[in-house]
Order: sequence, then structure tokens, then C-alpha cells
Amino acid sequence: MITYIIRRLLYTIPIIFGVLVVTFILFNIVSGDVSDQIAGKAASAETIKEIRAEYGWDKPLFLSWDSQFINHLKNSLTFQFGRSWSDRELIITKIKQGALPSLSLTVPMFIGELVISISLALIVAFLRGTIIDILSVFICVVLMSVPFLSFILFGQYFLAFKWGLFPVYFWPDLPLPQYVALPILIGIVAGLGGNLRFYRTVMLDELRNDYVRTAFAKGLGTGSVLFRHVLKNAMIPIITQVILAIPFLFLGSLLLERFFGIPGLGYLMIDAIAARDFQIINAMTFIGAILFVVFNLITDICYSIVDPRVSFE
Amino acid sequence: MNKTKEKNVPMIKGRSYWADSLRQLRKHKLAMYSLSIIVVYILVVMFIYLASWTKTDVSFLDWNQTVGKGYEKPNKQNVLGTDFLGRSVLRKTIYGARVSLTVAFWASIISMLIGVPLGAAAGYFRGFIDDIVVWIYTTLSSIPYILLILAFALVLRDKTLNLNWLGLDAISLSGISTVYLAIGLTSWVDICRLIRAETMKHKQREYILAALSYGCSNSRIIFRHLLPNVFHLIIISFSLRFVGFIQAEVILSFLGLGEKNSPSWGSMIDAARLDLPKGYWWEMTAATAAIFLISLALNIFGDALRDSLDPKLKVQ
Amino acid sequence: MRYCFCAILLLIAGCRYSANNPDPNDTVLYSAHSAKVRGLDPGDVGDTTSAIVASQMIECLYQYHYLKRPYQVVPCLAESMPAMSGDGLVYTIKIKKGVRFYDDACFKDGKGRELKAGDFVFAWKRIADIKYLSKNWWIFDNKIIGLDEFRQYSKTCKTAADVDYNTPVEGLQTPDDWTLIIKLKGRPWPQIVDLLAHLPTAPMAKEAVDYYGKDIINHPVGTGPYKLKRWHKGSYIEMVKNPTFRDEFYPSEGEPNDIKNGLLADAGKKLPLTNRLVSVLIQENPPLWFLFLQGKIDVSGIPKDNFSEAIDLRQQLTPEMKARNIKLFTFRDPSTYWFGFNMEDEVLGKNLPLRMALSCAVDRDKYIELFTNNRGEPAYGFIPPLMSSYNPDIKNIAQTSYNVQKARKLVKEAEQIYGSKLPTLTLAMPGTDIVFRQEGDFLKRCFKDAGLDVEMDYMDWPTFQNKIKTKSAQMFTLGWIGDIPDVENFLQLFYSKNISPGSNNFNYSNPEFDKIYEKASIMPDSPEREALYRKAEEIVVKDCPAVFLVHGVAFILTHDWAYNVKPHAFAYGTAKYRRVDEAKKAAYSELLRTLK
Repeated sequence: MITYIIRRLLYTIPIIFGVLVVTFILFNIVSGDVSDQIAGKAASAETIKEIRAEYGWDKPLFLSWDSQFINHLKNSLTFQFGRSWSDRELIITKIKQGALPSLSLTVPMFIGELVISISLALIVAFLRGTIIDILSVFICVVLMSVPFLSFILFGQYFLAFKWGLFPVYFWPDLPLPQYVALPILIGIVAGLGGNLRFYRTVMLDELRNDYVRTAFAKGLGTGSVLFRHVLKNAMIPIITQVILAIPFLFLGSLLLERFFGIPGLGYLMIDAIAARDFQIINAMTFIGAILFVVFNLITDICYSIVDPRVSFE
Repeated sequence: MNKTKEKNVPMIKGRSYWADSLRQLRKHKLAMYSLSIIVVYILVVMFIYLASWTKTDVSFLDWNQTVGKGYEKPNKQNVLGTDFLGRSVLRKTIYGARVSLTVAFWASIISMLIGVPLGAAAGYFRGFIDDIVVWIYTTLSSIPYILLILAFALVLRDKTLNLNWLGLDAISLSGISTVYLAIGLTSWVDICRLIRAETMKHKQREYILAALSYGCSNSRIIFRHLLPNVFHLIIISFSLRFVGFIQAEVILSFLGLGEKNSPSWGSMIDAARLDLPKGYWWEMTAATAAIFLISLALNIFGDALRDSLDPKLKVQ
Repeated sequence: MRYCFCAILLLIAGCRYSANNPDPNDTVLYSAHSAKVRGLDPGDVGDTTSAIVASQMIECLYQYHYLKRPYQVVPCLAESMPAMSGDGLVYTIKIKKGVRFYDDACFKDGKGRELKAGDFVFAWKRIADIKYLSKNWWIFDNKIIGLDEFRQYSKTCKTAADVDYNTPVEGLQTPDDWTLIIKLKGRPWPQIVDLLAHLPTAPMAKEAVDYYGKDIINHPVGTGPYKLKRWHKGSYIEMVKNPTFRDEFYPSEGEPNDIKNGLLADAGKKLPLTNRLVSVLIQENPPLWFLFLQGKIDVSGIPKDNFSEAIDLRQQLTPEMKARNIKLFTFRDPSTYWFGFNMEDEVLGKNLPLRMALSCAVDRDKYIELFTNNRGEPAYGFIPPLMSSYNPDIKNIAQTSYNVQKARKLVKEAEQIYGSKLPTLTLAMPGTDIVFRQEGDFLKRCFKDAGLDVEMDYMDWPTFQNKIKTKSAQMFTLGWIGDIPDVENFLQLFYSKNISPGSNNFNYSNPEFDKIYEKASIMPDSPEREALYRKAEEIVVKDCPAVFLVHGVAFILTHDWAYNVKPHAFAYGTAKYRRVDEAKKAAYSELLRTLK
């Protein structure tokens, strides 16, 4: 058991190394240099040289103990991403500050979506083959086909501005639940189609198992089969899905945050793109990947504890 | 397939897998409607390309022509209204199909060209090759997808790809090619994983063992035996992910990373950020409707295709 | 399931329009900024948004008179206007006594200390310090005795911490704590007074830099009417009245119309007139506009593309706005926008008819209508109409007004010079979003009408800058907003010694112009200097190194509960003059209800 965990831990090392290589190639080699931008208007070549030295862009890429690559590894692994060059703020501080607003948007959105889509999926699975089932599958596909941006623009215009049901935007001293309500609602509606369809398939897959046939054969009612047996067994794929989705919650939502003024990580990312602030995107990519690897590890270890069939080899 | 043969030969049972699936698919009315919508979109795009290659002037393709005043509401002359320069929104919408479908098409091709050979090789040879491939795709898949695609689009923008070593001219990336490269280079992981798993399964099957015992070469086994047997998976995945690619183009356009010199649905929706507060809703609505229609058709058709090609997955 | 729906309904119900500020004595001015506040360290501020926010908290030696026009510089932290030596090379500035930095943790016991002349010397040495990487070195470059040597010295230091600020600079002397003497390097510097009203020249307390280190960007320490209360990065910033603010009063004289417009009603009152300032970051147009209409934002610049909702073509407010008692102010901006030509480009550089053709091809009026909603003036030269040296006759001198026939003829001439059909030209655009794309679509069409093929190349701002600095852009869209009323600010853009990577992006070089520039830039303000400036502009315009497109006109939209709003083209720290009538504001939601 412990050897399994250790092996599993060792297995993450090449993955993290791989992520670091990818980020290095993307952000240090392909992306190019932004020292002109930092220098501002009317800067001399000397200032630019000074800037390149300050950020270490004048060092060799590889092949030296003080190369950019080694420094990239060192900095990333110690979470020292330095300062954003667009506003000289510590990148890690920015990320820490952005995490909470992002989570307060994505966590309720995620939970709401989960609860609603699983409940609906159960109902639809229960009514499979009927007109309601066909209709709901159709509605799912319809919802999946509308671009997300359209949901946001129409939602903000009608629900918030025209009809005044929600605040239009973030506002100082406005309680958090109020200004995140509309983006959460939009997020749930936009994601409902895909989720409901996914969970319906999970439920129906489960329904085809032998134990369901046995249960029906025993003479159990449909409701009891669905809730007692099917839901319980379908929980495993659902929980896997849930755990693996958690790291992504930290990233927030690019568009929702921007349009509703939620100062989270999604917003930070859009800003970084516009300003070509690669180091922020680099940091976010790395942290996102680390979270993913960690949660993956947790899932695997949980499995190995819960399910004795998982082999330790 | 051939009907006359079917008549002559009394055994109807012997229909091939593909013929059977197609027959099933044809019975699915909704799927057939969807298919015709898709075909119409594809024909439009092919027509646009054809017209531009042959330099034919076709009035409904001339999206850059002024047909009315700026910001005309939908009316008899301009069915979907006009944009800020008085250009027809209808023509822009039609023309926009080009960018979206081209992006989705090339992104699919690129992701397949990377994912399928890697997956097949990893699943077939196992060992070191497998380790490397699995390492690469685990690495990529542990980076959140949206970040990965943004990062690629960001760094690939306005770059010139030096292809001299391949004996080709340098390609300078802009707009459309950046978008499909970014999507393609980041979305091959799923298909690769799928093909790898399927290849591993098939490798144990008798027909492969038989081919091996005949002394077939590895490449022959992979290309002549293995891939045809997993090909339906590629088609299913292709049809289901096409929608995702179209939507990704919208997001990238919104972030200013998309095509800039000709209309695309993404940039039309993007324009709504300026237009909607002024009450000009038609351009965005037209683009949304265009995306909606093709996505709907692709979703329905993709589902039907999956049901008929992969009976195991069929959902009652 | 049922619970879920209930929860959602409750959520919606809880979100009904909430009432405004309940305490009538607490006056708050809400505004929006549409770009991120990058940092509040005055020495490093390089963008307008940060400058506006920082200027509410940090003061300079001089400031602009709020009401008087033409724009006039008056003392702020200085006791009086500077005393200048006869040769114009030595300035002596007396500083007000008893001015205190506001209370901040960086000072002893957290009590703000008195402002000293040394704080200015420290701040300026800091800008000179190359390790500090300030964007504002251009202000002092090659001006003050010893400061350039200080910059050289800082270059030899290994790290930022090694730079010793006690190293004396001959040209910056403080005989006592309230006297500052500035000695110039043998050349007069008539722009100095304007620049001493420019935020980067603000004093800096050494304690603050020592205490906060690199975090000083988040902790402005100034002497201004407001101090920072909360700053939620990327979201909003809140400032409150500085209790130790010196006695400063609302001006009691202004332009003749000011009395009629109620701008002198508060004359003689102690500033600031509003208790709190809240500025919210809103980068998307739809929410910004919605919030203004809902009365949440008191004063707004109009988001560029919402013009047509706000103002119809006769430059008035729409009935909808009028019903909401919204007021509109327009004012000339010290700005000019253009497409520059790279004069070192093979095709463009030697082909004057081609450059003229490009200029004649652009329908400036249509451009102004489409992209600024008639809120701009067509430009034919670079000096904005707001400046006293503006030449109203420049249109006739330039000969580049919109004329397709003429453009076509010029293209023919250009083809003869070039020797064959002209190649496709490329115009670099400094942004990729929809605003730039619409502009690009329009321009492309203008050029097409004249028979010219021009491709738009959209790129992000850093790439764009890089392209210009390396002279690899053929044409580029850019503009210049004057920091100070002196037009020298514009002229230096064409001076041959400033060629890229300097500020002369056109890589334009004309010895005749250079001679005039060198002469005029060190002259004090006078009719002769104005004549020289005009002459210089004429030379440039005839060489046509750019398509001068439009002079900006800026706007402020306000609700009727915001008072003392008078637009100012150069001053940023004007929030202290504004007053908010909270009762009127509270009544607005009633008004909205009746309008529905």
C-alpha cells in the first residue's frame, strides 16, 4: 500500500517536469521579449539592456547553471514567479487575491450545476423513452449549441439592466451573493445541457447492468431501483468527475468574471493576455497543472483504499 | 451495399458493418435533417473557396460592400440588417461560415494527424514509445485546457513558422491559422488516449495475432488491420468535437486572438459588445443563430452516428 | 429539486435593486476607470488611469488653475511661481511651510512628517536611477547639471540597493528645507514649470521607499486631499478625505460663463468637497453604460462606442438622456491621432505623392462620424486646435483634405516614381479587438476607393511598439496626447535625433525642421516662439510623414447631482473640486421608476 503511494508520488515527478518544459518552451522561447514594452515611451537602448538584466532575459537559455531554464525550474518549484512587469506586483500575491473571488463564483456554480443536472438526469432516466425524455435531450442539445458569450450578453442586458432582477456588475460594499448570483445563474444554464446529457448517459449505462435486471426481477419498483441502487452505483463515476473538476474551479471563468467585474483569476488571465504578461500565464498554468496532478493523486489513493480490486503494481 | 447483389444472393445477413450502420443512420430522420444542414454549410464554404480561387464575383459573397446605411434594422432589402459600415449582416453571416468551419476542419485534421499515429504506435509497440507518448499526453492533459489553448494561441500569433527543413516555404501565422493550430495542437490528447486503449485491446485479438504469424510488417498491421478497425471511433470523436472547435473560435475571437480581416461568427458576436448597449441586436443574433444551427445539427448527427457506429454505446 | 428552485427564487428576490448610500452626510463620488490602475508610485506612472487616481493623493509643486482658460499653471506645493535667473538657467522655488504628508505607517509613530525640499531631490534622483527603471526619465534627460552623471553612476552599481542617494547632484540644491534650486545644463528649459505640474515630478518621502520597498506601488504616500483607504486590485479603489490636508480653497475666479454655470457657487470653500472617492474598474462597455444609466456612476467619460446612444448627430443628448437629467460636457483634448509613415521604408519614404495620396484618401469626416460620433475635429497638422500655436490655415497648407479624385491622380504619379504598380502596403494597428477591426475595415475601404491596396495588420500593443522601435512597421496608427500645454511636446516627435527607438517613430529627418526645433524649444513662451512652432509644423506637413487624422474631443457625462464639473485637458487631480448632492441622487431611483 505504502509502496503504491510512493510509486504514485514518484510518477508525478516526470509529469511536473514535463509541465515545466512546456511552459518554458511556450513562455521563454516562443513568446519573445517584452523589454521594449516595459521601458515605456522614449526609452534608450541602455534602459532596455538594464531591463533585460533585471528579468534575467540576457542569460543563456540552457547549458549553464545560471541558465534561464534552470532558473525557470527553480522559481516555479518554489512558487517564486517574481513580479508582473505590467504593474510590478508580485504575481503570487495576485493569484492569491484572485483565488477567492474565482472560487466564490465557480464553487456555487459547480455545486448548483451538479445537483440540478443529477436530479434532472435521474428523472429523465426514470422517464426514458417518453416524450419528456426526448424533449429534454433535445433541450440539452439546444443549450449546448448557444455560444457562451451570447448567454452572457443577453443575460446581462435583459435580466440585469432591462428587468432589474440582478445587479449589473460588481459594486463596492455589495454583498458577494448578490453580484455573483447572475453570473452563477448564467453559468449554470449555459453548462446544464452538456452536464445533464452526460449524467443521463451515466445513469442509463448503469441501468443496463445485470443487477438492475435482477432488482426489477425481484419485483422492486422503478423508483426504488433508481434511487437505492442506480444512484449509489453511479456515484463512483460522478465522484471521479467531481474531484477532477475541482482544480479547474480555481481558474474561475474568463468571460463571466470580465463581464461582471469579479476580480478573480479569469479576469487576471484576460488582462495578462492583453498586456502580454506571460509570466502571469506561466504561473497560472503551472499552478493549475500542480493542482490537477495533486487531485489526481488523491483520487487514485482514495480508490486504492476504497476499492480493493485496484492493483498496487 | 450493392442492391442487385443482395437480390441475387439469398443471404441478406452478410451485410458489412459499415452498410449496416449506414442503414440504421438513414432510418434516423432527425439525423438526416441534421446531415443536410451540415452539408449545406459545407457546400457554402466550399463555394466561397471555389469562388475565391476562380476569382468569380458572386454578389452574396461580397460581404464588404455597402448595401445600406449604417446600423439598419432588419428590413425587406437587408433581411438581417446592416452593420456599422452599412454592410449586409446576412452576407457576413454566410461568409463567416468559412472561418468557423475552416478552423474546426483543420483543427480536427491536425489533432487527428497527431493523435492517431501516436496513439496507435503507443498502443501497438508499448515499451519505451508508449512511455514517452503517455508522458507527453499526461503532461499536456494536466495543464488546464483553456490555459493551454490560450497559451498556444498567444505565442503562435503573428509568428512565422520556418518550414525550410521540410522543404517548404515559411508559413506566417495570422488569424485563422493561429486559431486552428492552437486548437489542433492542444486537442489531440483525447483521441490519442482513445486510440491507444483501443489498439491495446485489439492487439490481443486473433486477427492481429494471425496477421503477425503471417509475418506481416508492423506498419502493415497498423495501417491495414488495426486502424480500419478503430476508424469508427475516430469518426465519432471527430463529429462530437467539431462543435467544441467552433465554440473555441468564438472565445478566441473575443480575446482578440482570432481572425481579423474577414468576418467570422466570433468577431460578429464580439461586435455586440459595442452594439448591444446601443440596441443593435441583429448582428449578434444572426451569428448566434448561425452557430446554433450548425452546433445543433452536429450534436444531433454526432449522437446518431455514435449510436449507429458503436452499438455497444447505444443508449436506449 | 423543489428546494433547488426555491433557492434560486430566493436568490433572485434578494437581488432587487438596492438603495443608495444611506448616510446623507457621507458624500461619495463614484466613477469608473476602464483600464487597470497599474501602480500608484508617481515616479513610475506611465498611463493615464494610474495618473488620474494617483493625482488625487499626490501633489506636485504646481497645478493647473481649475477654472481659468487658457490653461494656467498656479502654485500648489510651491509658495509662489519660480524665480528664474536672467539667463534662464537657474530656478529657485520656495516651498509652502507646514505641508504634511498624510499619516502613514512608514513615518515615525505613523504621523505624517512635514514636506521638505529634499523630498523633491530624492524623487528626481530616483527617476534618474537606472536601476529603478522609471518610464519617466525623458522628463529630466540631459537637462539638470549632474543628474545625468548620477544616472551614469547608478549604472555602475551592482544592484538597486547599492545606489547611494546621498551622492550629491550639483544642479539640485536645498539651502534650507523650504528652498529648492535647480541649475540647468547651459540650455534654457521653458517647459519646466509645466512639467513640475506633471505627476512624475511629485515629491517622494524616503521613509516610504525604505519602508515599502518594491511594494511602494501599492502605497502612495503624498500630501494630497485624499488618502488611500481600500484598493482591491483589478476591482475598485476607494479614497477618503485626508484629515491633515493643508488649507486649500475652491478658486473664486474663472471664466465669465462660470458664474452662470454655477461653477463658482462653492468659491472659497475648503477643499475637498466630497468625503470619499470610489472608482470601479469596468472594462467592458455594456456594464459600464448600464451602470451609468442606473445612476450608480456619477460622472463618466462616455465609453467610446456608446456615443450614438448618448448623443445624436446634432451633438445633443437623446431624449432618453434628457429625461434622466444627464448633462454632457465636451472639451478639446490636447491630442492628435494619425497613421505614421516609416520614412525609411523603401516604397513610402521616397514617394511624396504616394504619401499625399494616402492622406487624401481618408474621409476624415466619415471617420469622425463613425468612430467618435462627430466628437472630433479633422486634423491636417499635428498641433491640436486647443494650443495657442494652432494654425487655422493648416488645412490649406497641407493640401491633403479628402478628395478621391485627387488621391487617384496622386496614385498615378506615385506609380511613375515607383516604376511599376504599387505593392500592397501594410498598416499596423495597435490592438486586436473589435474597435480596431472596425476602424481597419473602414480605412481599407477608403484606400481601396483611391486605388490603393492596404492590408491591416492587427497586433497587440507590445508587439506594435516593438515593430515601431525596430523600424519594421511600414505604416502605423498612433497618436499623441500632450502632457503639457507646450507644443514642444509634439514637435520633438519629428526631431531627427529622436529617431526610433526614440520618440520619432516616423524616422523623419529634415535639417530645416531640426534647426527651428532646436531654436524654439528653448525659447520662453512668446509670439516669436509661436511663429516658429507654426513654421516647423508647416515644414512637417509639406513632407507628409503621416496622415493626420483627427484631433480628439473629450466628453464628460454627469448626472445632475454632481456639481463643479468642468473638464480640464491637463489636470488630473480635479476630484477635490467636485461636489455630490446625495439627496438628489437618492431621488434618482424614483425618477427611474416613473420613467419605466
